[in-house]
Amino acid sequence: MVALARKTLIYEWRRFLPAMLAVGFAGLLQLLQIALVLGIFGSTSLYITGSSADVWVGYPGTQSVGSGRNIDADVESRILMDPAIQRVEPYIWVDGDWRGPRDTGGVSVFVSGIDPRPDGLMFSKALPADLRARLAEPDAVVVDRSALDQLGVDIGQTATINGHQVRVVGVSSGLRALGGVNVLCSLDTARQLDEDPADIGPTYLVAKLHDPSQANAVAVRLRGSKAFGPYTTWSAKDFAQISVRYWLFDTGAGAGVLFLAGIVFLVGAVITSQTLIAAVNGSMREYATLNALGVGVGALRKVVLEQAFWVGALGLLGAGLLGIVLMLLARSQDVPVSLNIRAVLACIILVMGLAAVSGLAAMRSMRRADPATLLR
Amino acid sequence: MHPATAIEQLPAAALFAESISKSFMSGHQRTQVLDGLTLSIDAGELTLISGPSGCGKSTLLAILSGLQKVDSGRVQALGSELGQLDLRALERFRLQHTGFVFQGFNLFPALSAFEQVELPLNHMGLSRNEARRRAQQSLEEVGLAHRMRLRPSELSGGEKQRVAIARALAKEPELLFADEPTSALDAANGQMIIDILHRIARTHGTTVLCVSHDPRLVVHADRVLAMEDGRILSDQRPDTSDNGTPS
Repeated sequence: MVALARKTLIYEWRRFLPAMLAVGFAGLLQLLQIALVLGIFGSTSLYITGSSADVWVGYPGTQSVGSGRNIDADVESRILMDPAIQRVEPYIWVDGDWRGPRDTGGVSVFVSGIDPRPDGLMFSKALPADLRARLAEPDAVVVDRSALDQLGVDIGQTATINGHQVRVVGVSSGLRALGGVNVLCSLDTARQLDEDPADIGPTYLVAKLHDPSQANAVAVRLRGSKAFGPYTTWSAKDFAQISVRYWLFDTGAGAGVLFLAGIVFLVGAVITSQTLIAAVNGSMREYATLNALGVGVGALRKVVLEQAFWVGALGLLGAGLLGIVLMLLARSQDVPVSLNIRAVLACIILVMGLAAVSGLAAMRSMRRADPATLLR
Repeated sequence: MHPATAIEQLPAAALFAESISKSFMSGHQRTQVLDGLTLSIDAGELTLISGPSGCGKSTLLAILSGLQKVDSGRVQALGSELGQLDLRALERFRLQHTGFVFQGFNLFPALSAFEQVELPLNHMGLSRNEARRRAQQSLEEVGLAHRMRLRPSELSGGEKQRVAIARALAKEPELLFADEPTSALDAANGQMIIDILHRIARTHGTTVLCVSHDPRLVVHADRVLAMEDGRILSDQRPDTSDNGTPS
């Protein structure tokens, strides 16, 4: 079989280049947008992904890590009764008002009270061991390096949270939060910072399992008991997804992303289809001649669709290569970007869908390949 | 009485048209291009239709080859009623039985001469080897064996038209339609194309129907039909000096 579609694409590449560029840039825009959104909103699940707990226990209906309510401290003994549980530790979340030594006004901070022991589960992946150990000192806090200016404080200086004095004993990286500043301290310090006398128990209990792969089953098993007051359980993965989804969709950010994705798709499809239509029109007399010789319109349309496929595939390849370079560049500049397989697949589907829609549009113009017009 | 209107359908006729009419609308103006024309074309002959531009000769070719439908009348090609075939069936008929050569060569810029000829054969359900054998053979027949790896941009006008003829010929069609095949060519190349078309009718027994106002073609044709205003004015056989009598 003579590979008409591919040979034409190679020989007349200049004619198809605008379509490939349109597809490629649409794909690149889409990819970077998703990477940025995942990078930024991924920080909302940092508390979960930066820790080594397998199962989370919290108040029923909690929509994100930052919106938890206290549960009864006795739930811990119920959790520990399950043989799959290796250990449990409390996690206290306190919303605080920070007043630094420099004039910054009030800064909204998210206080995370964690177990400062070396084998503590919370922030085990995000907090270096020496810093964790220093949290055991009374009123000691650790913040992200990038937040020092915002908090108006330096290492070793004191500030107040909810009117209670704290001291910055160190800074870490990778603790950036969305909509506020993360402040890490010990469980004891966190209890002192909590102004609400009704808050007695921890905000969460986090558990490590003997076999982490059982997280889902154990989370389901631990649910439903009411003997210790209201609580529910999630596997760490589920709770992280719930948190990210809350920020993506309940804050309108996700709708913005989808809207932009739609615009990018539309613009890409218009440019790509117009270029493909022009390329098809350029070969219209040849196609009409083939049709006069009896080659069916269906077979000719397949040629156009195949060209659209190659335009999409090559555009995608370009977008992929450029995307990797830009992602590396962003990472090196501390721009929060992150991608997962699902996001990449979504991009691929979107770009190939764009190429397919453009191919179908170009196929319609094939109706003009009427061989009778060659006889005038 | 018009000489062509008295023709009866003969068993040897490859093409037969009876009282065909065709008109086109341009704006609100209706133009009658063909008006009750009856015609029979014999198998294995080179028939030339000549006449001034706008006389309806290209429309007649389009109708006889199944590219266009008639307003009234009927067309029979190789025993098939073209009016009764739908679009798909017409495509199939053309694929199996017809070849076309147009004034413009209409070759794909990206394909070599060999691939131009091979491409339609791929769609005829021939094996890869058979398609290549036929492509090779027809390019040899039009004298392009040494040029068949070249693309259209590397070929002269006459060579391009010979590739176009080879593309039609390789299908081994019973009917070969040519529309002004020499008008874009100089004298020498035009003559070569005429010779090839003539030889195809002779050696392959192909019915060649050629539309042209090129006077050089007249001496090579078995039969010359002169058209004007949608009707046939004269029907001549130059070789046998059989002037004006219905065959």
